Amino acid sequence: MILLLVIALLMWRGANRGVIITLWVVGVVAMIGLFRFHVTSVLDLSF
Amino acid sequence: MADVVVDSSPAVDDATKPRGGIWGLLTFWGLHAWVLAYCGVVLSAFYIQFAMGEFPCPLCMLQRYGMFLSSLGALFVIMAARRGELTTARYAQGLGMGLIGVLAGASVSVRQILLHIKPGDEGYGDPVLGIHLYTWAFITFAIVMIYVGVMLMLMPRGIPHAPPAGSTARKISTAIIWLFIGVIAANVIAIIFLEGFAPVLPDDPAGYHLIEQLTGR
Repeated sequence: MILLLVIALLMWRGANRGVIITLWVVGVVAMIGLFRFHVTSVLDLSF
Repeated sequence: MADVVVDSSPAVDDATKPRGGIWGLLTFWGLHAWVLAYCGVVLSAFYIQFAMGEFPCPLCMLQRYGMFLSSLGALFVIMAARRGELTTARYAQGLGMGLIGVLAGASVSVRQILLHIKPGDEGYGDPVLGIHLYTWAFITFAIVMIYVGVMLMLMPRGIPHAPPAGSTARKISTAIIWLFIGVIAANVIAIIFLEGFAPVLPDDPAGYHLIEQLTGR
């Protein structure tokens, strides 16, 4: 979440577009990693 | 000799060319509505968290993350438009960022909906207007997906056009941007209080770990 705050502030300050998009992609990868970390159980849909 | 094909489409990638019209303004404010709507959603979640004492689970927090991630796509376009640097390519990049953000958020929402899909399961947290928060989150993600699709269909006519610097509209735009930054910052602080010194959120949070760790209770 700190990364997202940094990206928003960089956008406001007009930082290089490549830096912004790279950090944003890192943010997406971090989200996928956190999702994978927190989702550890298999869904039981046998009802 | 081959015929020379003249491209008669307007030079929309030329940032120096004046843009305007109702479409440009509508899409500019549409992006603000996107950012503002997600600020409202997260502020409502704060109300439920702090006033009603319901702690967000990691999946709830990841949905907020998806909302911010997608709103950053909108902010990317807004800032380029405000600086007069917006091209078709940058507009498409921003919309692409927004679309990936909502897809990521929607994936988490769907996962949480499926966790509670069994008959008799009461779901996580109290429902709002009969629908649980993660289902509401999915609805907002679906709305943004449709919005991005419509914006892509309107291109290049609907390329956002920022109001002139110093105008009231510009000040409103600035206020919305800073509200968004403030909401992310508040979320960072909320997460620090929830996590304490742990690297990740607890699976089923029941208090603010930082306070518990600092006070030893």
